[in-house]
Amino acid sequence: MSGQFEPKIAGFFCKWCTSAGADLAGTTRLKYPPNVIPVTMFCSSRVDPQYILQAFRDGADGVIIGGCHPGDCHYQAGNYKTMKRIILVKRLMQQMSIDEGRLRLEWISAAEGGKFARIIHEFTEEIRNLGPLQLAQAVAPGHGAKG
Amino acid sequence: MKKLKSVAELEALRKKAQKQTGGDRTFVTVSGGTCGQARGSVSVLDAVRSEIKNRKLENRVKVRASGCLGFCEREPIVAVYPQGVFYPSVKPEDAPRIVADTVVGGKAIEELLYVDPVSNQKATSDGEILFYSKQQRHILGNNGLIEPTSILDYLGIGGYAALAKVLSGMTPEEVIDTIKQSGLRGRGGGGFPTGVKWETCRNAEGDIHYVVCNADEGDPGAYMDRSLLEGNPHSVLEGMIIGAYAIGASEGYIYVRQEYPLACENFGIALDQAREFGLLGKNILGSGFDFDVKVSRGGGAFVCGESTALMASIEGKPGEPRAKHVHTVEKGLWDRPTNLNNVETWANVPLIINKGWEWYSKIGTEKSKGTKIFSLVGKVNNTGLVEIPMGMTLREIVYDIGGGIKADKRFKAVQTGGPSGGVVPESLLDLPVDFERLVEAGSMMGSGGMIVMDEGNCMVDIAKYFINFLKEESCGKCTPCREGLTQMHKILAAITDGKGKLEDIALLEDLSWTIGNGSLCQLGATAPNPVLSTLRYFKSEYETHIKDRRCPAGVCRALVRYRIEEEKCTGCALCAKQCPEQVISGEPKKTYRIDESKCIKCGICFDVCKFDAVVVE
Amino acid sequence: MGKLIIDGIETEAAPSKTVLEVARELGIKIPTLCSHPSLPPYGSCRICVVEAIWKGRSKLHTACTFPAWEGEIRTDSEPVRRLRRNILELMLAEAPEAEDIRALAREFGVEQTRFPVREEKENKKCIMCGLCVRVCQDVVGFAAIGFENRGYRREIAAPFREPSDACTACGACSFVCPTGAIDRRLFAKVEPKPIPSEFDQGTTSRPCIYTPFPQAVPNKPVIDTRNCVYFKNGNCQVCAKVCVPRAVDYEQQDEVLEEEVGAIVVATGFDLFDMKTYGSYGLHRHPDVMSGLDFERLLSASGPTKGEVRRPSDGKVPKRVIFVKCAGSRDAEQGMPYCSKVCCMYSAKHAILYKHRVPDGEALVFYIDVRTAGKDFEEFYKRATDEGVNYVRGKVSKVFRRGDKMVVWGSDTISGRKLEVEADLVVLATAMVPDRSALELARMLKIQHNAHGFFTEAHPKLRPVETATAGFYLAGAAQGPKDIPETVAQASAAASKVLELFSRKELTHDPNVAAVDEDLCSGCGICVDVCPYKARELIERKDGKGWVIKVTEVLCEGCGACSAACPVGACQQANLKDKQIEQMARAGLQD
Repeated sequence: MSGQFEPKIAGFFCKWCTSAGADLAGTTRLKYPPNVIPVTMFCSSRVDPQYILQAFRDGADGVIIGGCHPGDCHYQAGNYKTMKRIILVKRLMQQMSIDEGRLRLEWISAAEGGKFARIIHEFTEEIRNLGPLQLAQAVAPGHGAKG
Repeated sequence: MKKLKSVAELEALRKKAQKQTGGDRTFVTVSGGTCGQARGSVSVLDAVRSEIKNRKLENRVKVRASGCLGFCEREPIVAVYPQGVFYPSVKPEDAPRIVADTVVGGKAIEELLYVDPVSNQKATSDGEILFYSKQQRHILGNNGLIEPTSILDYLGIGGYAALAKVLSGMTPEEVIDTIKQSGLRGRGGGGFPTGVKWETCRNAEGDIHYVVCNADEGDPGAYMDRSLLEGNPHSVLEGMIIGAYAIGASEGYIYVRQEYPLACENFGIALDQAREFGLLGKNILGSGFDFDVKVSRGGGAFVCGESTALMASIEGKPGEPRAKHVHTVEKGLWDRPTNLNNVETWANVPLIINKGWEWYSKIGTEKSKGTKIFSLVGKVNNTGLVEIPMGMTLREIVYDIGGGIKADKRFKAVQTGGPSGGVVPESLLDLPVDFERLVEAGSMMGSGGMIVMDEGNCMVDIAKYFINFLKEESCGKCTPCREGLTQMHKILAAITDGKGKLEDIALLEDLSWTIGNGSLCQLGATAPNPVLSTLRYFKSEYETHIKDRRCPAGVCRALVRYRIEEEKCTGCALCAKQCPEQVISGEPKKTYRIDESKCIKCGICFDVCKFDAVVVE
Repeated sequence: MGKLIIDGIETEAAPSKTVLEVARELGIKIPTLCSHPSLPPYGSCRICVVEAIWKGRSKLHTACTFPAWEGEIRTDSEPVRRLRRNILELMLAEAPEAEDIRALAREFGVEQTRFPVREEKENKKCIMCGLCVRVCQDVVGFAAIGFENRGYRREIAAPFREPSDACTACGACSFVCPTGAIDRRLFAKVEPKPIPSEFDQGTTSRPCIYTPFPQAVPNKPVIDTRNCVYFKNGNCQVCAKVCVPRAVDYEQQDEVLEEEVGAIVVATGFDLFDMKTYGSYGLHRHPDVMSGLDFERLLSASGPTKGEVRRPSDGKVPKRVIFVKCAGSRDAEQGMPYCSKVCCMYSAKHAILYKHRVPDGEALVFYIDVRTAGKDFEEFYKRATDEGVNYVRGKVSKVFRRGDKMVVWGSDTISGRKLEVEADLVVLATAMVPDRSALELARMLKIQHNAHGFFTEAHPKLRPVETATAGFYLAGAAQGPKDIPETVAQASAAASKVLELFSRKELTHDPNVAAVDEDLCSGCGICVDVCPYKARELIERKDGKGWVIKVTEVLCEGCGACSAACPVGACQQANLKDKQIEQMARAGLQD
């Protein structure tokens, strides 16, 4: 490594769209940075806000959530729920002095391999520019209510 | 004038009218139908009127401009009543003498009287003239007694008495029965029993029934309907009102051709007068019967004389016939029951009602009753409208009434029934004229045209003439009539042009069969008659045209040759002067010759030669 | 009611009908020309004449107007035949150019007419039956044409002999004309706008009521309401009038049918690449440049030329046809990068069929590669070359018109020469692309597809007919370019998969269903609103103290929305608990 900051990014991707888009990006041999650690979810609405915060605590410099385009949810309206939750999580992050830019929600369909690669590229660069996440010690070790 | 509200009021008015117009009062009748006017009757009328005025006789002597008196050959005619002195071919300059000598003096002027062309006898009154005396002028006769535009005149001679009789005590069924018993048959040509037609129409289902007067007289040479409408419109109207009453019709139409302006005018006046007097409109003469008549003017299509075409035309559609399996008495105008009769038929109705069916049915033959008006034209001395009882022989009509063939030529045939009628040859001159006999002879009654032909008429040419007329007048709806007649005319034209083939005769017969059996309407079905009847009686003339390339009558130009016989030519040079092509040459006082290569065969030389030196070959 | 005997067949008299109608019901053929079911009887052509025997008297009447009264009718007696023959002779003289009349005349043994041609008549095909005039006035309601003059001078004409605005060039007159005598240019100011037949690739037109294609299911006509005269101005309704079972219903509306199904096989098929990026090929810009599908219709016996190979521009038989393969396929820049797979074989077939129809014609095929992977495919290609089809290896750069020829610029990469070839017809083997409506369906069904829109199978080798979504299967070109045998195979496989699914007594279900930890559940009910499948409901606790969630596991699809929403962590997905997910992320992050 040349000493350039390589951010760690947690990705929570819906298996019906963004995960498949990621596959497509791969099968079409598109290049994108290896900084994202993808976790496939059944639905973006499965993403508990706690996972995001936990990811930051576990060392993620950014979190990206990929869901289906509005109206396309496999579970009817899960992505709308996700959208509302992300707004709240961003408020929470403000209170914790975490830059909002470290969390991103994107709609990427199964056919949008190109978009997936582009977004990952973009987001990685953004996080790289933001630098490593420095969590205050007081916040870092705490556990959430849930187990 | 107040509307007449009852039959009694009508009779009271009639008495008044008779006082004014009838009886032994002196009056002068000047015939003024279209034919009379064409021969100058208007100026004669003016001359008579001004002479009467000059002599201040207006109050004593009434001058009537009557309709046609029928004797077309001798128009204009002036008759002075009560003596009944009859002056034919009057000129305006004769008027002062007639007024002075006959009207005032009561004497006939010898040199103005009618001279019989055969016997050279002078006749003072119409009764002494063979042309009139052999006729029975029940329908036409009144033309001379009235002024067509005066309803009072008509009332004066007993007009509307039939209507009064019907409305004051006859049921519609009784009227129909009377007509049925009388044996009256349609005068338009078909000869369908009128009473039966009325009855069928009366019994046909429909909210409105119509009566229609067919005044679309389209035959060339037939004009009795025009004469009646011009000369006695009220008689036709009265017939229609009675018919409407019998049938239960509340609306009537008269379909009259635009080419009959005087008929349109006079009938229109009659309608206005009848409405004014309450003889048309609501509650006629207080009887509760409503009826009115509208005038529909035709554009002058021969085919519109056919009932379905006529009705289509009234409805505003193109005048084309339709299939008549369902008769017009059941589905006619606007698909409603419609009774259509010809002008002359309607005019017969008041006569029958007035005089009774017993009287009427005594006139005529077993199956054809009453009188029939014929327009006698062609090569006879006395042309005109003649009204004869059914059953009179052709010989009587041609030789007695018609005064024989002009210029002592030889009689050849009579063409009856209009263009789709046929010719009756000399051998059938003793044929009694009625519906059946004429059909048996291969012709028909038609509307009553009667064209007399002499040896100067070529029968192929005659057939060609009529087929051409029918071809021109075919509406063109159905193929046999439109195309068949066109091809038939081509064949006939070829024969008269000297290009005929022997097989053309068979082809003409086949075509005739096709047109006769295949056409949509009766006009088409009867259209081959001119060819069929000339072929029947004069086939040899066709053969002569085809085989010998010769026209025996010397009519077909392509087949004749004009030659000047040297022995007869006096060298008067009249022919040379008249020749339009200047192809007759010679020296005066010597003989002349025709350059046949340049001759256009107009026949003028033949006509003008006083020495019969020009011969046709 | 009395008896009516037609040609010896006894039937009931029916005065409300015509003899023609009754005879047709009995299967007796009477020729007609001026009759049309949508119009009242007219009786002008007289060809339907029959002999009526009534009270022992015989008379000729037209069957179209004569009521079916009791009595006897003879439709083929000698007088009838004689009259028909003579009328046909008259018609032959009137309309010498009317082929249909000539054919009818021949049926009656009339080869020639005894009458001279009616030279003075303008229209040499018209028999003045008046159908055009009547249909325009009484059916369409425009009255844009009429009879001019009468008798033998009669002609059909527009008012004042000038094309008028009243005529919309609807073509009803041409349609009813029995002799093809109508020249619409004399009547209409506007050009007729024929409705292109979708099935014939627009090479022919179709009426407003039509059966979409010969093997349509259901094989019944439909009304094109955008073009139908009745829907436009309320007139016409001819189709309803002529339909004997009265099946035409103008009130019918499009219906959306809702069906509950257990499985869906997606078989949306393919479209042709639109070739917009291949402007230089001039597809459809020149009538004589067509797609393979157009050429297929041209070869078809039910196609626009009834199977005769005639080029669209002038109807001539093309003497040289050039087939251009890979028109849009295998071209990542302008077209589609993939191989459309079927073109090699159908081009060979087209070329062979063309050679059969036009033996002296020349077939030339431009190709990149000839791909004949398939049983007997190579042999078929060999047959094509053996039968004289010329193959040229190289791409085509341009197709353009020169005179009445099409010129093809191409290269012969084997000899290394540039080629310029003149042809009468150019057939492009256009690329296959997914049906245009497939993307919308894909989104609705949540089926994955590749960048070109072809649906993606669950596994390219092991699950080639299933999709990633349970219950959805694929068949045919919706999944990727393929030919008919392959499509049939895949469709059969999909059907078996469906049957397999349906034949199971029990269905397996994804185990990741949500459960509830009753000890933790506070009975808040948030998860009930969140669940899209009504798998959760709030019930009273057994001990009666408060509320608790009950999960109906079979309804749960395992989205996990409830789990994410639960404020106390009582709601957990089986095998996918919060902790597991966190661990997954952590494992990656701390790696």
